[in-house]
Amino acid sequence: MKTGAVTIYIGGVYASGQPMVIKTLLGSCIAVCLHDAVGGVGGMNHFMLPWGKADGADAGRFGVHAMDLLIGAVMKAGGDRRRLVAKVFGGANVLDVPGPVVDVPRQNVEFIRTFLKEEEISVVSADVGGRYARHVHFYTHDGRAFVKRVRRVRAEERSRAAPAVKYGEITLFE
Amino acid sequence: MPATILVVEDSKTVRALIRAALLADDYLVVEAPGAREALTTLEDTPVDLVITDVNMPDIDGLTFTKTLRARPRERSTPILVLTTEDGEAMKQRGREAGATGWLVKPFHPDQLRDTVRRVLGARA
Repeated sequence: MKTGAVTIYIGGVYASGQPMVIKTLLGSCIAVCLHDAVGGVGGMNHFMLPWGKADGADAGRFGVHAMDLLIGAVMKAGGDRRRLVAKVFGGANVLDVPGPVVDVPRQNVEFIRTFLKEEEISVVSADVGGRYARHVHFYTHDGRAFVKRVRRVRAEERSRAAPAVKYGEITLFE
Repeated sequence: MPATILVVEDSKTVRALIRAALLADDYLVVEAPGAREALTTLEDTPVDLVITDVNMPDIDGLTFTKTLRARPRERSTPILVLTTEDGEAMKQRGREAGATGWLVKPFHPDQLRDTVRRVLGARA
């Protein structure tokens, strides 16, 4: 059977119970791959904390939101939250910019480690930090992940801005 | 006497965000990581409002909502569903299950507090 492929970008979340390969390119952002081996379900997100407020509540919310969406998507695809294991990638210091910007990758890594610990999701592998960007390929059905480090990230990938956090709709029934 | 709100959400991190948003308005917040635990909590803690997630292990939020609607004490307790599910069909299922409102994540703390105030106010 041919494995389909999907590429996700900043703010993206994808999960499937069918064999798929999910691809992304990471600099300082984080991609978390969640896999349920029994259900053969896997998913990936790609999030970036806001540059300006990496120590504030907004930053945490962005990461929490991305994780909440991913866990929800994996469960919707048939995964069981209690069986999930995680692979974590990204958080590189790819931009040689002085000042607080350089803390963002570290804060990303700290955030996701804390989050997964709190949520009792085991991290089975992680490749984070460093100075190189990463191409990540994740196979949803068997949980394999392949990482290729790349020295240069194309300008358009680097400058792809994180979407603003859009708050959800509220409906009150009659 | 501040209103008591039961938060049913399997993510500890999201529970903490909801709690923080509600405590700013001085509500009493009780938490449960799942519907089963929530039903146990409700045995000895009457609440004024329930906020529940949908996708949870064991019992999903809509089944939980239906269960509460079948109980005399929670038959008319407002139930807000707070979920990443944003599809109309799911929302309709929520309505049919007896939910009072449907809030799609991510939530802004101010919006959550406004909605809680409206729902509790309408009931008072």
